[in-house]
Amino acid sequence: MSEAAILMKDLCKDFKVLNRHEGLKGSIRDLFSRDYKTISAVKDVSLTINKGEIIGYLGPNGAGKSTTIKMMTGVLEPTSGEIIVNGNIPYKDRTRNSERIGVVFGQRSQLWWSLPLIESFNLLRDIYMVKQKDYEDMLELYRSLVDLEPIIKKPVRQMSLGQRTLSDILAAFLHNPDIVFLDEPTIGLDVSMKAKIRDLIAGLNKTKNTTVILTTHDMGDVDALCRRIIIIDKGQKIYDNDIDHLKSYFGSYRTLKLRLADDTWEEHLIDESKEDIMQIILEKQKLSGVKDIQLQEISTEEVIKKIYEGGVA
Amino acid sequence: MSPKKLIALTKAGIEESLQFRLGAFVTLFANIIYLVLVYFLWKAIYASSGTDVVNGMTFEDTMIYLILATALFNFLEMYVVWDMSRNIQSGKIILDLLKPMEYKAYTFWSYSGNHVVLFFLTFIPTFIIVMFVTHGAIPMGINLVYFIVSVILALVVNFHIEMLVATLCLYTESTWGINIVKETIVLLLSGASIPLAFFPEAARKVVGMMPFRAVYDVPLNVLLGKGGADTLSGAASLWGFQAVWAVILIAASTLFWNVSVRKITVNGG
Repeated sequence: MSEAAILMKDLCKDFKVLNRHEGLKGSIRDLFSRDYKTISAVKDVSLTINKGEIIGYLGPNGAGKSTTIKMMTGVLEPTSGEIIVNGNIPYKDRTRNSERIGVVFGQRSQLWWSLPLIESFNLLRDIYMVKQKDYEDMLELYRSLVDLEPIIKKPVRQMSLGQRTLSDILAAFLHNPDIVFLDEPTIGLDVSMKAKIRDLIAGLNKTKNTTVILTTHDMGDVDALCRRIIIIDKGQKIYDNDIDHLKSYFGSYRTLKLRLADDTWEEHLIDESKEDIMQIILEKQKLSGVKDIQLQEISTEEVIKKIYEGGVA
Repeated sequence: MSPKKLIALTKAGIEESLQFRLGAFVTLFANIIYLVLVYFLWKAIYASSGTDVVNGMTFEDTMIYLILATALFNFLEMYVVWDMSRNIQSGKIILDLLKPMEYKAYTFWSYSGNHVVLFFLTFIPTFIIVMFVTHGAIPMGINLVYFIVSVILALVVNFHIEMLVATLCLYTESTWGINIVKETIVLLLSGASIPLAFFPEAARKVVGMMPFRAVYDVPLNVLLGKGGADTLSGAASLWGFQAVWAVILIAASTLFWNVSVRKITVNGG
């Protein structure tokens, strides 16, 4: 456990983008333009991820999540800073790095479209040079975690989205990688399929001690799987700690629900470090009378929403 | 690199292609229409020339050459440029880049199975038909073995031309125009649409040095035992021509790809 799975130090990534001009004239001018602007997608991100952790890697759209993941997988080369994955520098030796990682990108499949699932598995076994014994053990483990029979002989193109995602996750773990990157694995799935996928990820992480980097916009995934979360916004790391700390870190928020005299419910989001709940109840009581009171812990989703909206920083 | 990986990829390619076997029959049907057109076009050309032999080729020679060129084209044609640009636009390329193999090798061996299938479903039937119709215009002997070697070299040359153009598309982010230019150049200068013997002397010399000839004209000459290909030394010198271009193109496309791939920004996500 001592050795880190992923180590990043002051990692930056800048993109050069052409300044585009409007209209036909502008488009023609752009053909010859050398007017570039630099956009920094990731700024000075440092983090250490230990073996066997499941990390919730969160951030609003365009925050730089994918860019960081691409640097971890070696597809992008950082502009500056250090990055070490499994002891390798990923962009310098992408092929070797690839042997020890697995990836799932929610909306794309790495499976062979027209072949039955088992053929894709066999092919991946050969490409990753998995020993036959390890391969069979892995399939055995899969059978104990999910019901493989309905999908194993099915061509991928005939699968439902849920079955396909499930298959893609199994494919990513097949060569027993040290790290698996899951990019929005539950996008577009129904409630029961989401639960199945979460159980599968948790089960594989537990039995194989695989490090899992999970990016998602579904806080249900985070609550079910991650103990530690990292939040990134505008290219910078703004939170890196336990999920339990999150709620108190940005103020101790609670939702106060009041049923007023006219039977309508009113909701207040209260930061207990700044406001006194009793005070608010008393005021309301004087104004319009309170029939009923509910006090709710704030959900992860609401905290994240507040962070994304820039309410806290 | 372990051959097991490569064989596995070829095998999967064969299985995948066989799922779409109907496509091969459509190709054969389209060929018939195209060849009828070619037949009447060249009949008119020969009729207007007033002689039986034009540029050292009889009408029958020309037809055999063009029919086999078409069959060879169906079998050698690659879609690397299209597929790669589509994968870049959809962002799927990241999944291929993250395979534990060199991207170029992975791509080549992913296509190989398809070529094996097309060889049996489009080239062999056409070849057999031409063989029967022309009553022995195609020599049957060791030249068939020479031809196989030549075709494999042609496949390598063609793949690396495709890779060079596909890599170029990384920069332009638009593919259609560049690919049409490439296809036209390859078809014209390789002898696939007009036998190279019909080119003016000066142009023929220049085209003769270019790599495009290695894709269609050279294998066809080897098959038909022309251009000195009826002897081992003659065939070997043609292989040498293909091999030299193969080496140059492998070096160029590998270098270009390695420089370019670092600049890739994979879309989406």
